[in-house]
Amino acid sequence: MRMRTRAAYGFLAPYLLIFATFWVWPIIYSFYLSFLATRIQPWSFNPAVTWGRLVVDPAFLNALRNTLIILVIQVPVMIALATLLAVLLNSQLLKARGIMRFAFFAPVVVGEAAYAAVFRLMFNADFGVINKIIGSIGLPPVAWFGNPTAAMALIMMAVTWRWVGYNAIIILSGLQAIPQDVYEAATLDRVSKPRQFFFITLPLLRPIILFCVVLSIIGTMQLFAEPFLITNRGGPGQATETLGLFLYRQGFTVLNFGYASAVAYTIAALAILISLANLWLGRSAK
Amino acid sequence: MRMTLGRAALALVLATGSAPAFAQSGEITVWSWNVAASSLESTIEGFNAQYPDVKVTVQDLGNQQVFDRTLAGCAAGGAGLPDVLSIENHEAEIFWAQFPDCFTNLKELGYTEEIAAGFPDFKRVELEVGDVAYAMPWDSGPVVMFYRRDFYENAGVDPEEIKTWDDFIKAGKAVAEANPGVVMTRADFNGDTEWFRMLANEQGCGFFSSDGSEITVNQPACVAALETVKKMYDAGIITAADWDEKIQANTAGTVASQLYGGWYEGTIRSTSPDLAGKWGVYRMPSVTEDGPRAANLGGSSLAIANNSDNEEAAWAFVNYALGTNEGQVTMLREYGLVPSLLSALDDPYMQEPQPYWDGQKVWIDILGTLDQVVPSRGTPFFGDADGIMNAVQSQYLNDGFDSAQAAADDAANQIALVTGLPIAE
Repeated sequence: MRMRTRAAYGFLAPYLLIFATFWVWPIIYSFYLSFLATRIQPWSFNPAVTWGRLVVDPAFLNALRNTLIILVIQVPVMIALATLLAVLLNSQLLKARGIMRFAFFAPVVVGEAAYAAVFRLMFNADFGVINKIIGSIGLPPVAWFGNPTAAMALIMMAVTWRWVGYNAIIILSGLQAIPQDVYEAATLDRVSKPRQFFFITLPLLRPIILFCVVLSIIGTMQLFAEPFLITNRGGPGQATETLGLFLYRQGFTVLNFGYASAVAYTIAALAILISLANLWLGRSAK
Repeated sequence: MRMTLGRAALALVLATGSAPAFAQSGEITVWSWNVAASSLESTIEGFNAQYPDVKVTVQDLGNQQVFDRTLAGCAAGGAGLPDVLSIENHEAEIFWAQFPDCFTNLKELGYTEEIAAGFPDFKRVELEVGDVAYAMPWDSGPVVMFYRRDFYENAGVDPEEIKTWDDFIKAGKAVAEANPGVVMTRADFNGDTEWFRMLANEQGCGFFSSDGSEITVNQPACVAALETVKKMYDAGIITAADWDEKIQANTAGTVASQLYGGWYEGTIRSTSPDLAGKWGVYRMPSVTEDGPRAANLGGSSLAIANNSDNEEAAWAFVNYALGTNEGQVTMLREYGLVPSLLSALDDPYMQEPQPYWDGQKVWIDILGTLDQVVPSRGTPFFGDADGIMNAVQSQYLNDGFDSAQAAADDAANQIALVTGLPIAE
């Protein structure tokens, strides 16, 4: 028995070694770093300029607010759309279902840089197709990259476009797991289709929707590529700077490793907290 | 890394083998980006005429890659770094503060005060800390106004008459009226503070004092710069556009002027070849009639890695490419890289009329302002200050502050919070 455990650990050792070096150690080390003033050599112990700064730094609070705005608006809208889409994709009336499912899933497969470039062109204030369409119905052009509100809306649209199909496919799998006879019984009892949706489908989908919500929250907390690429590093003037971008800026533009570590720990803690709150809400309502 | 080891071995063999004491030999590698890399490459031929035994390899990694990999290399104690590194001036002090041991003190290699004095102060201030010179100035970006001759002519605007930013606004309105669909100029309001920095530098102000010890962003000269930017923005003569959108506007013929460092000459010339003869250059306007009209935007320097196996050869190359008229003018002629070496101005090439610019002697006009540029210190906190100013500027332009002074005060307070530096009285 002993021997076999040892052998197993022996086989696991290469992975564990890499895991310890590149995962465990950095996580511990960055916790240590988060207490140091790292602006100028030699580094010194001074949590006031990392953890202390965190609570009063308007730029951090701005990034936190932006992230929470996206969280509160974009995630529910996207999950609602995804659920609707999943129901439609599940419909018996739909033709060419395989192609339709792929079509809505496809955005996830597109590289971030590629789709960001296309979005930048489409939403270009002067030559972009979106403003051309807006103009053709007689509305004034929108400065998508210059107006803080429009830029935020643009980021939400982009993220929603990219991830709604992905979530729809996950919810679709949940839909298909609901036994058909439940609906049959309801139909026999003359329960209307909308009521079936709200009183059968949604409650039975709760765990899967919760799963999507938690995934989306974690994704939003780490949101980086869209504001980095589409709105030019969180522009205009940090109006779309997310926590992920803020962390990157502190760590790799400004080289303030101590502060960046404190920010990273805060982001992780927030993501865990919000997800736990979600799970708890989901469970207690049962 | 393996490459460097191999090269180290080779250099060792060469060094112990045949080389006489002073003639340099061996191989050196340089990291750089885009046009800057190409222009360094163009100096190798002239360098090899003097140092035939040094083989120079320039690697074009792209701007962001050079920054990221230099950062990673220095963090790893110098592993994997090349012999010579390109560093942008405004980011330079971040490196010196964070990794002082990563770079060689050029003064120990022969960078004398005499050679250093050949460069303007504003280029040196970020590269030298006390007795240590971490890098040698390379190119510079004397700010000028690039303009479309035909658009100005249509509106009856004489660029020689534009002396103040108020004149510029008046001219801008006339140009827009006479040329439908054309806007006077563009600025990257959504992602950059370039216009504020150019105007502030012109007025003798910056984020920090020139010794880097105080925050000066809310001093009157900076406030005047910020106010002027908003005045132009409100007048509608300046609209937002990033780097690519500016080029698109240039080629589409929807913009009449661009304010940038002299290196933009090469950009206009290479991206709008069909517009030859239509572009010209004039000095940037000032806030007051007889105010200063010179500023600098951008520019880089070359440093030598501390763990280079061939520091002497690397220094010989750096000193040739940056410290001689021959090296600097070659880079200007081939790729439009604007020298920061003051004596380059005396080179006969400067006097040549440039065909693309309708025969204007643009290099005299651009470089003539070099010695009037006031230093604007990047400091290790440039990234912080710029990020804050970017947000404040955006808010201010959208009427988020009552006055430019209030906006600048807010920026100064935020910078103080982040850097711990005092705000100048």
